[in-house]
Amino acid sequence: MNAATPFIKVLNLSYAYPDGTLALSDINLEIYDGEFVALIGQNGSGKTTLSKCLNGLLKPTRGDVLVEGLNSKTTPIVQMVNRVGYVFQNPDHQLFNNNCWDEIAYGPRNILLPEEEVAVRVREAAAVVGLAEEYFESHPFFLSKGLRQRVAIASILALRPKVIIVDEPTTGQDSKQSYEIMDFLTLLNKERGHTIIIITHDMPIVARYARRVIAMADGKILADGITAEIFKQLSILEKASLEPPQITRFAQRLHQHGFDPGTLTVEQAVDQFRQICQKFIHDG
Amino acid sequence: MNKTLLGYVPKESPIYEVHPFVKLFFLLVVSLFPLFVAAPEWNFGLLIFLLLLMFLCRIDMRTLRIYVPVAISMGSIILLSYTVLGGRHAEFQVVASVFGFPIYWERLRDALVVYFRILPMIATMVFFLSTSRERDVIVAMRSIKMPFVVTYVFAMALRSAGMVLEDFHIVRQAEQARGFDTTGKSLAYKIRKYVMYMIPLFALSLRRAEEFTNALVARGYSFTGKAARIKRADYILSHYSYKLHDYILILLIAFAFGLLLYLSLGLGFFDLNKSAFIRWLHQVLS
Amino acid sequence: MEPIIEITNYSWKYPETEKPALDMVNLQINKGEFIGIIGPNGAGKTTLALSMNGLIPGQYHGIKQGEVKVLGREVEEYSKGELQMHVGMVFSDPEAQFTAMTVEDELVFGLENLGLTRAEIKERLDWVVQLTDLQRLLNKPPYEISGGQKQRVALAAVLAMMPEVMVLDEPTSMLDPLSRKRIYEVLRQLRETQRHTIIMIEHSLENLIPLTDRMILLSDGKVVMNDETRKFFQAPDLLDKGVYPSEVIQYFHALKGQGLYESEIPITLDEAVEVQENLLALLKVSNNMRGTSS
Repeated sequence: MNAATPFIKVLNLSYAYPDGTLALSDINLEIYDGEFVALIGQNGSGKTTLSKCLNGLLKPTRGDVLVEGLNSKTTPIVQMVNRVGYVFQNPDHQLFNNNCWDEIAYGPRNILLPEEEVAVRVREAAAVVGLAEEYFESHPFFLSKGLRQRVAIASILALRPKVIIVDEPTTGQDSKQSYEIMDFLTLLNKERGHTIIIITHDMPIVARYARRVIAMADGKILADGITAEIFKQLSILEKASLEPPQITRFAQRLHQHGFDPGTLTVEQAVDQFRQICQKFIHDG
Repeated sequence: MNKTLLGYVPKESPIYEVHPFVKLFFLLVVSLFPLFVAAPEWNFGLLIFLLLLMFLCRIDMRTLRIYVPVAISMGSIILLSYTVLGGRHAEFQVVASVFGFPIYWERLRDALVVYFRILPMIATMVFFLSTSRERDVIVAMRSIKMPFVVTYVFAMALRSAGMVLEDFHIVRQAEQARGFDTTGKSLAYKIRKYVMYMIPLFALSLRRAEEFTNALVARGYSFTGKAARIKRADYILSHYSYKLHDYILILLIAFAFGLLLYLSLGLGFFDLNKSAFIRWLHQVLS
Repeated sequence: MEPIIEITNYSWKYPETEKPALDMVNLQINKGEFIGIIGPNGAGKTTLALSMNGLIPGQYHGIKQGEVKVLGREVEEYSKGELQMHVGMVFSDPEAQFTAMTVEDELVFGLENLGLTRAEIKERLDWVVQLTDLQRLLNKPPYEISGGQKQRVALAAVLAMMPEVMVLDEPTSMLDPLSRKRIYEVLRQLRETQRHTIIMIEHSLENLIPLTDRMILLSDGKVVMNDETRKFFQAPDLLDKGVYPSEVIQYFHALKGQGLYESEIPITLDEAVEVQENLLALLKVSNNMRGTSS
C-alpha cells in the first residue's frame, strides 16, 4: 500500500512563535499513501503546530515540508489544500455560508473549479458524509452539532485531498459518536484511499483505529512506529505524559502470565485469555 | 515586553510601584493639559516629556512604531480638512496656493494648534496602556468607586475581546485551510471577504454567551434584585495600598494642573500671540 | 435522613422541541454521596444538572412538571442568587467559564457575591489555592494559562464558595490526560473529606468509577439505571443500554458471556488484575489436578 516516495516529507523542521519560543525543533518525518496515523501528545507538545505545518497553514521557521514534492514555503495555499485537508475541532470556526450547498462548494470554488465540477464535488462529498439533500438549502447555524460536523468534513472532502488531518475527532463526543466518526474515517481510509492523520489524546481510540503512532513532547518526536510497539514503550509514553489504554495496561501487568504487552483492544485480550486457557489444557 | 489585550507592557518597570489609581489620575488630568495650551511648542514639549517618561518606565520604544502611521495619517487629515477643504475666507491671509486652493495662514495655524494638542493627549493614553495590565485598569476604576457593574462589564468586555481575538485567529486558519488566500488581492477584496469572518465569530460568541451567563449566575451573581446590592469586599484592592510616593505624585500632578490653569487662564502665558513658534512661522510664510 | 436532592416525577420541555428533555425523572441523592451520571449526548444530563442548581427554570424558558427539591425546598422557592450558594456547578468549557481578567479575580468573584469580608475571602482563597495548586497562577490573565489550568480555576472558584452540593458537567471532556488527572486528584481529596455531595457527569469512566458510590444512566430523558456502582456494572446488558464501561469491565463481561468466568465483575484495573491472576491460578490448579487424575 505504501508508495516508494512519501506523500509528505518533513526535513529538519523547526517552528518558532513570533516571540521566539520554539514550538517544534528538528522534526523529520515521512507520511506515505494510505496510512492511518495518530499524532499524540499533551497540549503544548507541538502536535497541532506540526499538523498545521503539514498543509502550509504555518510555514517552517527552518527546514522544509514537501507535499507531493511541493515545498510549503513557496507553494500558494490554494495548491496545498487540495492535497492536504485540515478539519478543525470546532465546526463553528469554519461555517459561514448561508446554506450547506455553498458551504461545501466554498473550497472547490476557491481553487477555481468550473461550476459543473463544483456541483459534482458537492454532491459527492455530501453523499460520503451522509448529508441528505434536504439540508442543502438549510443554514448551517441552525443544524445540530452532529450535522454541522458533517458539513464541515464534507467541505474539506470536496477538495478531494489525499491526506486528511482531523483535529481531535472524539473530544466532546460520547462513546457511540466517537466510534461512528472513527468508523467513518476508517471508511475514508480503506475504501476511498485517503491518508488519515488524527490529532488526539484519546488512547483507546488510537489503539483501536490507528496503525501508526507518532508521540510528541516539547516540540520533538519521542517515538514513531506501529501502535502496539509504541504502547509497549512505557517510559516514552510517560515522558509524553500519556498512558496506554486500560486494557493495554491490564495486559502489561499480566505479562508474565502470557498476555501480550502490545494488546490494543478488549477483543484481543479475550482471545489471548482463551489461548492461555488452551495452553493450560495442553500442558496439563 | 509582555503582551496584554491593550498593548505591550514592560516586564519590569518603576511604574509598577505606583498605585493604579495614580496612573489613571495622571491619564485623566494630564490629557486635559493641552486643552489649556494653544502654543504648539509647549504641547510639543509635553509630548517629548511623555516620551521621556515612557523611556524611563522601560517601555520598549519599538512598540511605539505602530502609532507612527496613525500620527502621520491623522496629521494629514487635519491639515487637509483645515486648509484645502476649509472653504474660502476672504478675510484670511493667503500664504500659498495648491492646485488652485488657497492656503490661508489662519487655517494653517489652527491646524497646527489642533494637531499638537492631540498628539500629547494620545501619548498620555498610550503611556497609560503601555504601563497597565488589564487588572490595573480595573483596580484603578474600582478605586475611584465606579459602580461594580461598570467595572465588571468592562472586565467582561476585555475578556470577550480576548476570546474573540483567539477565535479570529482560528477562523482565519480554517478559511485558509479551504483555499482562501488574500495574498496579492486588493484591499477592497480583503474588506469584502473579511465580512465573512464576522459570521463564525458571531456564531461562536452567541453559543458562548449562554455558558458565560450561566457561569456568572452559577456563582451567585445577579444583575438585579437584592443579590445585586450586596456590599462587595473588593478583595483585589487589598493588594494595592497607597504609599508615600503615591500621595506625592498625586499632589504633584494636581499642583501642576493648578499651576497650568493659573498660567493659562490667569496670565495667558500659553496664548497664541505669545507663541514664539507661531510668530516665527508666520514670518517665514509671509 | 431527608435526601439532599429529591427529584419527583420531574419533566422539563424546552420550547419548540417535540420531546421533553427530561421525562418523569425520579431521583434521590443523599448527603455526602458521590454520584456519577452517564449517558449518550442528548440524553438530558446537562438539563438535569442545570435543574439541580436552579439555572433551570431560572435562566431558561420551558415547561416544568413535577418537583425538584434541594435541601428540602423547591428550587423555585429560593430567591435570586440564593440556591447557587448551596449548589455549585462546573461546566465543560474552560474558556466560557472564565469571566474575569486574572485567576485571583476569578476565584474571588463568587466570594464577593456571597458578601464575605476581606479576611474571610483571604482564608477561603488560601485554602482553595493550596488544594488545587494554583499559587503560581494567581496573577495571570486567562490568555496566559492553558485550558486545563482554567478548569482547575473553575473548580477552585466553585469550591471556595463552599456549597453543600457540587455538580460537575463533563469537566474534563475538553482537557488532555494530564490536566484530567489533576482534576480527578482534587476530586479524590474532596471525596475523602466527605463534606460535599458530588454529582459528576462524565463519558470516560475509568477515572470516575473508583470515586463514585452510585451510578445513574440517563437515556432519552429517562433514568434507565440507578444503582450502587458495583452492582451497576454487574448488569450483563450494559452495552445494549448504551453504556460503554471501562475496558476491564467489558473484558470480564465478555469472558462471562463466553462462559469463561462466573464471579463478580471487578470494576477497577487493580481489582481486575487481581481477579485475573486468581482466575489463572485457579485454572492452572484445576488443570493440573485434571492432569494428574487422568
